[in-house]
Amino acid sequence: MKIMSSFLKIFTIMVFLFLYSPIIVMIIFSFNESKSLGVFTNFSLKWYEKVVTNPEVWRALYNSFWVGAVVTFVSIVLGLMMAMAVTRYSFSGKSILESLILIPIIIPEIAEALSLMIMYIFLNIPLGPVTVIIGHIAFSISYVTVVMRARMAGYDKSIEEAARTLGANELQTFFRITLPTLYPAILAAGLLAFTLSFDDLIKTLFTTGPGFKTLPLVIWSSAARGGVSPELNSLSSFALSISFIFALFRLRTERSVGR
Amino acid sequence: MMVNRRDVLKVAVTGVLGLAVGGAGGYFSRQAEIESLKKEIEELSKQVSMPTVKLEPNLNIYNWTYYINRNIVDWWAKENNVQIVYDTFESIDELVAKLQTGTSGYDLAVVSDSPLQELANLGVLEPIDLKKIPNFKYIPDRFKNPYYDPGNKYSVIYSYGTTGLGWNSEEVSPEVTAWADVFEVDRHLGKYKGKITMHTDTIETFGAALIYLGRDPNSTKDEDLRDAVDLLKKQKPYLAGYASTEEYMEGLEARRFLISHAYNGDIAGIIYASDEREITITKQLEYISYTVPEEGALAWADNFVIPKGAKNIEAAHTFINFIIDPIVSAICTITVKYPFPSGRDYVPEEIRNDPVIFTPDELLDKLHWTRPFTPEERAKRAEYWLELMAA
Amino acid sequence: MDTLLKYIRRNVKVKVTLLLAPPLIFLAIWFYAPFMIVGLYSFDMINIYREITFTPSLTHYSKVLSWTGAAGIFLRSLYFAGVTVALCLLIGYPVAYYISFKVKKYKDLFIILFIIPFWVSFLLRTYAMMSILDERSIFNTILVSIGLINSPIKIMYTDAAVILVMVYDYLVMMVLPLYANLEKLDKSLLEAASTLGADPVKTFLKVTLPLSMPGIMAGFLLVFIPSVGEFVIPELVGGPNNYMVGNIIYEIFMGARHWWTGSALSMLFIAFILSLVIVYVRRVGERGLAI
Repeated sequence: MKIMSSFLKIFTIMVFLFLYSPIIVMIIFSFNESKSLGVFTNFSLKWYEKVVTNPEVWRALYNSFWVGAVVTFVSIVLGLMMAMAVTRYSFSGKSILESLILIPIIIPEIAEALSLMIMYIFLNIPLGPVTVIIGHIAFSISYVTVVMRARMAGYDKSIEEAARTLGANELQTFFRITLPTLYPAILAAGLLAFTLSFDDLIKTLFTTGPGFKTLPLVIWSSAARGGVSPELNSLSSFALSISFIFALFRLRTERSVGR
Repeated sequence: MMVNRRDVLKVAVTGVLGLAVGGAGGYFSRQAEIESLKKEIEELSKQVSMPTVKLEPNLNIYNWTYYINRNIVDWWAKENNVQIVYDTFESIDELVAKLQTGTSGYDLAVVSDSPLQELANLGVLEPIDLKKIPNFKYIPDRFKNPYYDPGNKYSVIYSYGTTGLGWNSEEVSPEVTAWADVFEVDRHLGKYKGKITMHTDTIETFGAALIYLGRDPNSTKDEDLRDAVDLLKKQKPYLAGYASTEEYMEGLEARRFLISHAYNGDIAGIIYASDEREITITKQLEYISYTVPEEGALAWADNFVIPKGAKNIEAAHTFINFIIDPIVSAICTITVKYPFPSGRDYVPEEIRNDPVIFTPDELLDKLHWTRPFTPEERAKRAEYWLELMAA
Repeated sequence: MDTLLKYIRRNVKVKVTLLLAPPLIFLAIWFYAPFMIVGLYSFDMINIYREITFTPSLTHYSKVLSWTGAAGIFLRSLYFAGVTVALCLLIGYPVAYYISFKVKKYKDLFIILFIIPFWVSFLLRTYAMMSILDERSIFNTILVSIGLINSPIKIMYTDAAVILVMVYDYLVMMVLPLYANLEKLDKSLLEAASTLGADPVKTFLKVTLPLSMPGIMAGFLLVFIPSVGEFVIPELVGGPNNYMVGNIIYEIFMGARHWWTGSALSMLFIAFILSLVIVYVRRVGERGLAI
C-alpha cells in the first residue's frame, strides 16, 4: 500500500515534469537573446520589448478576447436553453435531439471547418469577424449544453417550486434562483467555450477575412519562417505567469472563505 | 497621387536601407553607385507623369509571407492616406480557397501562374486596366503577355523563379548537380539518408520526378504518374520528409537537412538572412547553395491579380504601378531576394548577378512551366500522391 | 400579454419549443446545413458553378473506397489515435487516481497546476515540444554531455514524435473526465470492500475500475476523436510516413480542390466516427460524455 502510494506520487510528479518541461523551456528561452530554442546565448529582455511594441500581436490578442467573449456569451445563452429543455421536460424526439447535440463535438474539426467554409462560399457571405464567430459558436453550443446538462442532472427543483409558491413569477425565479444555482455550471461551460474559441486555429483559418487575425493565426503565420517568433513565447510566458498568480490567489481566497 | 520619385529614392536610401546599418554595410561602401542610381531616377521621374487621384481609404492586400518590403508598403500607405490591410498566406491552397469565393474581401492578391488560370476560368478575377499602370512599360518584354494570361488581361508579373535543390555546400560532397542526386541511392540519396527533403507541394514533387524520368512534368497520364510514384516510393525511405518553406528554411539553416527541394528565393533568403523590414545585402550563410538540376526544373511566376468583389480597384492599380516602379522593385528585390523583374537594372551588381536570385535568361528558356489542371486531373494526381503518402 | 404568458406557462410543448428554437435554428443553419452541402457535393449533386443538379451518383464514393492508399492511411490514423488514447489512459489514470484519492489538502491546486499548461496556446505548446524533441535540443545536449546517452535521441519527424505531441496536447482531455468521475465515486464502497478483506489490487480491479468506466469512456472519446482527425500535428512534427486522415481531407479539398471527392471522403470519415459514437452511446448512455 505504502509502496503503491509512493509509486503513484513519483509517477504524478514525473507527469507534471513532462507537462511543464516544454513550458519551462519556452519561458527560459523567452529571455534568450538569439532566436534559437536550442542554445541559450545571452540573457535579454528584447523579445518582451518587441512584443510590447508589436501592434499586430496586441490587435490579435484583443480580437481573440472579444471573439471569445461574444462566443462564450452567445453559446451560454443558447446552450442553457437547450440544456434546460432537455433536462426539465420530456418530449417526443428527445433522444434524437440529444444525438444531434452531440454531433458537433464528435465531428473532426477539419471536416467541420471545410464544410462551413463551403457554406459561406455557397451563400456568398463575405468572410470576416462575423463568420469566425459563427463558426466558433456552432461547435461551442454543444460543449456548453453537454457540460451544463451534466451539472443540471442533479439539480434540485424544489427551491424553484418554493420560490414560485411564495409568489415569484417565472422570470424572477429564473434570475433569482435558477441562474445563481447554476452559476458553477455556467462558469465551467463558459470557461470551456472561451478556451475553445481562444485557442482555435483551424476553423478560424478557413473562415476569417481581410485583416482579421486572432492570436493563433498570428502564431501560425509567424512560424512561417522556421520556428515561432520568441516574441510570442514571451507573451505567452507573461500571460502564463499572470494566470498562475491568479489561480493561486483564487485558491487562497477560496480556502479562506471556506474556513 | 503624391508619389514623387525623389521621395521614393529618399525612402529607399535613408529610410529602408538605413534600418539595417549593420547588414547593409556592404551597400553603403558603394556610395558612387547610389549616386549614379539617384541620377538615373531623376531622369526617369522626368519621363513619367503620375496620375493624381484621390484614392479610396482602404486597400486589402493578400500576399505570400515575407514577400515584399513592408516599410515601403507602409510608406506608400501613409503618402496616399490609404489604410492598408496586409494579410499573408503560407500555401497556395489558402490563397485559392479564399479567392475562389469571389467574396474574399481582398483588393489585391499575388497568385502563381497555374492557379491564376484556374481562378480566371472560374470568373473570380477582375480585369486589369494597363492604362492605369504606366510603369508596366518597365517590365521586361519576356514577362509581358505570359502564356498563362495572354494580353495581361488579369495579371501583372510580380516575381518569378525556379524550384530546384538547396543544399549545404560544407557538408555535402560532391556538388549537387542533378535530380539524379536525390533519386538514386548510390548518389547523394543513399549517402545523406534522412537528411534530404522533397517539397510538400504535389505539383513540385511530381514535377521533379517526371523531369528526372524524362517525361512531361505536367503529365496526367496514368503510365507517367505510375512511374513517378514508383520512383518516389523508392526514394521515400531515404528522406527526412516532405518539407514546406517554413520547414526547409529552418532545417537547412540548422543543418538538420542537407539537401532540400526548394524555391530559389527561399534559399537566397536564408543565404542573406532576409527580413521583410530590413535589408541585408551581404551573405550571412555561406554554406547554403542552390542548384537548378541539369535535367531541368519547374519555373514559376507570381502575379498581381485583383480578386472579384474588390472594393478599391483604383488603389489596387496604383499600388501595382508603385511596386513595379523600377526603384521600388529594386528595393523589394534586395529585401526579400526574390527578383522583381523591373528592378533588375537597379539592384547592386552582386544581387543582379546572383543566379540564385535572378535565374539567368538562357536557363529560364530551358525550364518547364506548369499548366492549370482540371479538378479531375488534380484529383487523379492527388490519388497517386496519397498512394505515396500511404507507402 | 398576461394571457399569453399564462398560455406559455401551462403548455409544456410551447415552452420546449421556445427553448429549443433559437439554438436549433442556429445549429441548423450553421452546422447541419453546411454538412448537407458537403453531402450534396459527395453525391455529385452540385456542379463546378455551384448549381444544384438532381442527378445523384455514387462515383466519388466508389472512387474513394477503391483507393488503396486511403485505406492504409486510415488504418494508420486509427493506430496513431489508438496508441495516443492508450498512452493518455496509462499516464492519465494514475494521475487522476492519485489526485482524487491520495491528495488530501491541495486537491484544487493539483488540478489547477495540471490545467495551467493547457492554457498556453496549443500551437506554442507544440512548438515548445518540438524544440525539446529536436536533435539539437538542450535536453539532448545535456544528456549527451553527462554521458547518459552516446548520441542525441532522434525523435522529430517520426511516428514517436507525432504520438508524443498528441499525448501531450490531449492528456488533459483524458485526465479531467477521469478525475471528475473518480471524485464522484462513493468512497464508502471502497472502504466497504477493504473492510470485507479485499486487498487493494482486488478492490481496484473489482470496484474502482468498473465504477470509473464512464470516465474512461468519456476520456477515450475526447482524446480519440480529435486525434484521429488531427492534421496540424503530423504536419508539424511528422515525417514522410505520418500522413493521417485529416491530411488527406485537407489535401483533396485544398490541394487538389476536388470538393466532390473531398466531400465523399469527409462523409465516410464522419460516418465512421458517428457509428463509433453510436456504439459507445448504446453501451454507456450519452451521459458518459459529460465532462
